[in-house]
Amino acid sequence: MIEIHDVSKNFPSRNKAIDTLNLTVPDGKIVGFLGPNGAGKATTIKMMTGILPIDEGSITLNGRDIAKEPIAAKKIFGYVPDAPDMFLRLKGMEYLNLIGDIFDVPKELRQTRIEQLTKQFNIYDALNDHIQTYSHGMRQKIIVTGVLLHDPAIWILDEPLTGLDPKSSYMLKEMMREHADNGNTVFFSSHGLEVVEQLCDEVAIVNKGKLIFYGTIEELREKYQSDQSLENVFLELTSDE
Amino acid sequence: MNKTWLLVKTMLKMQYSKAGTSQSQIWLYVVAGIFLLPVLFILIPAIQMLVTAMYEVLAPANQESLILGMLLLGLHILLFMISLVTVINSFYFAEDIQSFIPLPLQPYQLLLAKAANPFLYLYLTAGAVFLPVFYFYGLASDASFLYFLYGIPVFLLLPLIPFTIASLLLMPVMRFVNISKNKDRSKVAGGILSLLFIIFINVLIRLNTDTDGLVENVALSLQEGDGLLRMLTIYYPPAYISTLALSNPLSLTGILSFAGMIAMSAAALVLFLWMGQLLYLKGLLGTGSGNKRPTASKKVQKKISARPVWLSYLQKELRIIFRTPAFLMQCVVQSLFGPVFIVIILMLDFENNSFSGLLGGFSGKQTILLLFIATVFIMGSNGTAISSVSREGKNWHANLFLPLKPAQYFFSKIAAAWVINLFTVLLALFIFVFFLQLPVGTLLAWLLVVLLASWFTSAVGTYLDFLDPKLNWTDEQEVFKWRITSLLSLLITAGPFGLIVLVLWRVNAVEGLYVTSLVLLVILAISILIIHQLLRKKINTNWQQQI
Repeated sequence: MIEIHDVSKNFPSRNKAIDTLNLTVPDGKIVGFLGPNGAGKATTIKMMTGILPIDEGSITLNGRDIAKEPIAAKKIFGYVPDAPDMFLRLKGMEYLNLIGDIFDVPKELRQTRIEQLTKQFNIYDALNDHIQTYSHGMRQKIIVTGVLLHDPAIWILDEPLTGLDPKSSYMLKEMMREHADNGNTVFFSSHGLEVVEQLCDEVAIVNKGKLIFYGTIEELREKYQSDQSLENVFLELTSDE
Repeated sequence: MNKTWLLVKTMLKMQYSKAGTSQSQIWLYVVAGIFLLPVLFILIPAIQMLVTAMYEVLAPANQESLILGMLLLGLHILLFMISLVTVINSFYFAEDIQSFIPLPLQPYQLLLAKAANPFLYLYLTAGAVFLPVFYFYGLASDASFLYFLYGIPVFLLLPLIPFTIASLLLMPVMRFVNISKNKDRSKVAGGILSLLFIIFINVLIRLNTDTDGLVENVALSLQEGDGLLRMLTIYYPPAYISTLALSNPLSLTGILSFAGMIAMSAAALVLFLWMGQLLYLKGLLGTGSGNKRPTASKKVQKKISARPVWLSYLQKELRIIFRTPAFLMQCVVQSLFGPVFIVIILMLDFENNSFSGLLGGFSGKQTILLLFIATVFIMGSNGTAISSVSREGKNWHANLFLPLKPAQYFFSKIAAAWVINLFTVLLALFIFVFFLQLPVGTLLAWLLVVLLASWFTSAVGTYLDFLDPKLNWTDEQEVFKWRITSLLSLLITAGPFGLIVLVLWRVNAVEGLYVTSLVLLVILAISILIIHQLLRKKINTNWQQQI
């Protein structure tokens, strides 16, 4: 479970990038995080993952405060950033070994999981190549493999499906569903409304640093005009007027 | 032409963007500038004295043009050496070029834009040497207005020929090393080749210096006007005709030489652009792509290994340094360049066998102090430590969301710089054993002291980089360019230790090799404790390492 309590964040150039945000992402559900560009999605995710300090309020992951117990909290979640261009000069296998070492994944477990995941994602044959030579989708897959390698309870995914081929995208969605059904937390941001509609149990919509809606898609439709498409509801909800 | 100009402006803007530069960083440059002022006050009168004195000696023999000849030839050689490094860095290592390749632009336009920044650097270097000497020569020779007028184009065209020669040498090399599959490796090969070339030229110059023949030639050349100039610049016409143009601006020779110099520079520019159009993109294109061959399961299984986090992280650091051409060149190759250079020069002079006695006149205490400060000086300027944090660039975020204790990754970063320093230590050891033939006791004491000193310099560099890192780079080169951290690191390590060495040298209470080494070890241990405390304090005040 992810609990965000009264969180605010200011930047020198922009006051209240996040304005007293309250959000609880429950276990067993896939929660989509939506909002127009610059709404505060990335800032929220960066605070959740310890990349940005929190100015006010608190964020806990399965009861661990990210600001007070950062190492314990970070061991609980796996994070796929929006740009998978990390550790480009390492080989795929070297990256996975580094992640395995950081998260204390035993060698035997590593062997099974790496083989299984990379074969599923079709990147097994590229494991001995530098990540730099990977396509965008392959980079995304190696990062996702790194996350799944240590099997965290909470998944925080920033635009995880961008660049994935249909098969891998389908697989990741299945994995997300399975992870949530096992009582874990899946929180992901996306601009793809169809994916959100198809995959999420609940959605959180932010605009200008504030949470403007939290609930199921049905509740969203009910609250606004039910006959409209999600796209229209979203556009209406986040319009400036 | 408009597009080329636009490109030049864009590339310069990207290089010198103030985006992400904190106010404190700008102030740091201002303070550094103020510190440099007194140096200028000493340097400029010194240059004036030198030029005037040389003029007074040479003018009676009608050989005063030698001053300008030496200036121009020296500058051409200097600019050529710098160009070798900047051409390879700017044209081939800088990754920002990749975003310009898809644009509908001619290779020569890209080349001109990429040359803008190296040219600024060359003008800065050339200006610092050329302008004062040129001005004081004009004063001493009571030169006409035309001399000063000619001076402007001579200065402006100065970097063109050396830069073109360097490019002409490197572009074909890069075109052909780029055939190989691994682009990074070929870049490094090109970089190392260019450094080896610099050493090769030096060796060539040293080997061709025949002292007896030189004296004879000088005697002969003195008998005719400008004879020394001709002797000096005989193999390099650009310096010769530029000097003739400046030294006799009013004569027909002067005017013709001036026209000749402009024609030569124009030809160089055309040649540069033509070669660039022909070879530049071919040397640049062709990144490797992922392996499509099936990998044997056994091979993958063998590569899976579990290690302690600090070691795993250290390995990651070293891998990234060795696999990133810009990092490899700056952190490893260039820091070895000095010592390798010394080894080669020593080997050339080895016949004299005079080195084994070089330190013979010093006591054990003095020897260890000298060796200690020399190696600290070399290690203080090592690029690995001062780029510890900055090398991460946008990857820095990964350190923040992964469950790593800051102390853990800082330890690995310091250790990486320490490991890289080992190369320098080994080279120095080679020099000490084979050339200076130092006794085993001295070697062991030095080794112990220097390994600890290496940890200290690595920690200082890492700490300084953490105080003011450059993470927002688009190109790896920016990590090392125009940063004051390396100078600060050198000052902090070499300054206090220089003072300590001076004090120990004079204090009679500390005597003998072993006692001195022990004192140095204790001082180093205390210094390491202090720097680690400072680092810990900085980590604690900024737990999330927001930069």
